[in-house]
Amino acid sequence: MLRFVLNEAGRLLLSLFGAALMSSAIATLSVPHAGDGVLQFFLAWGLRLNRSAHLQFGLSSITGLPIASELAARLPLTLGLVLEGMAAAALIGIPIGFLFGAGPVRRAAAPLIQIVAAAPVFCAGLALAYLSANPPYWPAQIGDGVRFGLKILPQTAAHAPATLLPALTVGLAGAAAVQLALRRAAAETARESWRIYLQRMGLLRWEIEGLYVVPQIFAGLLAHLGEVMLALLSASAVAEWVFSCPGAADLFVKSVALHDWSVAGAILFVFATLTLTAEFLGRCAARPMIDRGTST
Amino acid sequence: MSAADATSVPANAQSLRMALRVLGWIGLGLIALAVSLSDFLASAPAGATGIGPLLAPPSTQFQFGTDVLGRDMLSETLHGLSMSVRSALPAVLMALVFGALSGFAAAHLPKPFSVTLRWIIAIPAALPALLLAILAIGLTARGWASVAAGLSAAPLAFVRAFDRADMHARSMHSEYARATGISPATLLRRNLVYEFSDAFAAGAARALAAVVVILSTVSFLGFSAEPPHRDLGLMIAASKPYYLRAWWTAAFPALALMVLVLFARLAAGLDEGERP
Repeated sequence: MLRFVLNEAGRLLLSLFGAALMSSAIATLSVPHAGDGVLQFFLAWGLRLNRSAHLQFGLSSITGLPIASELAARLPLTLGLVLEGMAAAALIGIPIGFLFGAGPVRRAAAPLIQIVAAAPVFCAGLALAYLSANPPYWPAQIGDGVRFGLKILPQTAAHAPATLLPALTVGLAGAAAVQLALRRAAAETARESWRIYLQRMGLLRWEIEGLYVVPQIFAGLLAHLGEVMLALLSASAVAEWVFSCPGAADLFVKSVALHDWSVAGAILFVFATLTLTAEFLGRCAARPMIDRGTST
Repeated sequence: MSAADATSVPANAQSLRMALRVLGWIGLGLIALAVSLSDFLASAPAGATGIGPLLAPPSTQFQFGTDVLGRDMLSETLHGLSMSVRSALPAVLMALVFGALSGFAAAHLPKPFSVTLRWIIAIPAALPALLLAILAIGLTARGWASVAAGLSAAPLAFVRAFDRADMHARSMHSEYARATGISPATLLRRNLVYEFSDAFAAGAARALAAVVVILSTVSFLGFSAEPPHRDLGLMIAASKPYYLRAWWTAAFPALALMVLVLFARLAAGLDEGERP
């Protein structure tokens, strides 16, 4: 196990290094005359890397503020949305994944799942906003989601609708990713031969399901935590745009539109770090469960 | 479960999956027909304003209603669907070539090259395809949105194809083939034919589902299509200020988009947790 964790940690560090190279290459585009030639670009890239290694990330070309302070102001909102979305995804996605991942229900649910999965996130966000503004007149408006800080829960009841709509949008996208990972793991586990052997050994169906199958399915979910994080981050960008929340994903979209490459590169690095870390943690957490199933 | 049950359940599952795939291809065929005949089917040309009253709800005269400029929403949805499908086709090609095909071929390169390539491509694959597409459009121009969407969908497809090919290479049949003296080139050719002869159409449909969602979302965020050539994403974005009191301005383009993605997903045979 220790060897596996060390291997995975090495992979994570190598990937983070690659992400740092990529984000600094993007940020280099902000340097004047960096695009004049290949040599100039590589020189500017090297200088940029050196500054980043000394934790000097430069200034935003739009606001003139240090990028670190821009991120400090915007990132908590996105992280809050992702965490809230993850909680909603777990609450909605895990029961649905288990319900629709079992036996005949899995096959019957396949067309229904396809219909739900066909809805792009921005359509789901707009539909939620529409439902909130029409009967039963949930008192929330598009663009009412301005808040700062890592607030997992709304502070007052009045803040709840504005806070919950973007979180619910992200959560629905996350729930779709969670239940897909669970269904995939359930389908893979259903094909395993050890279920039959355990039955022949005299174990009851619920014992096999509870002791061996459910941990394997959870391991499958954890092994795909990186994909769930990708879905949450992607949905955050859309939710922040639809509900006018000034988070980091919203800042990324505006930075690209205004060619502020330093900020765009920094945000991409943070997002890549989040995905890679989630993947690392998920794989490490899944490993003992998979080992247990394999030894069975 | 009896032996008979054990064999009948997968057979039922196979037939349901096949029925859904056929339904998906029929749906995509109908959409292709509607797209190719959109200029004939639509009662008004693309972007024609003042066709009816402003924000008229669906009626017998205007089945999908009209928008804030009096455009016929049925005609606009048909033109938008046509625009979405046309811009998705080059993106599908890019995603297939630079994603699945390149990933499969890269896994058969000498080990140091293949591992390095896998590492390089895994870095953009750790970013949401939507943000990659926005970045690529920002670095180029809006006219390159199709290419950007295809390229942004490619890294994840590359990594998946690479891992699948790597698994094939370590499988028993590959071991036996190598042991009996079959050359690596012959084995690669065999695996490529095996991989793509059966799965090419499904892979194309899978890529279509992915790039349509990416392209419509970047359009919604204002990075792709520009008026008067509106795709479905831009139509939905344009309806944002007034869709709360005129639902039909967003609902019908969104429905058309969902139907397109749904048929593509069904045609791809996506099931059991597969993602496009």
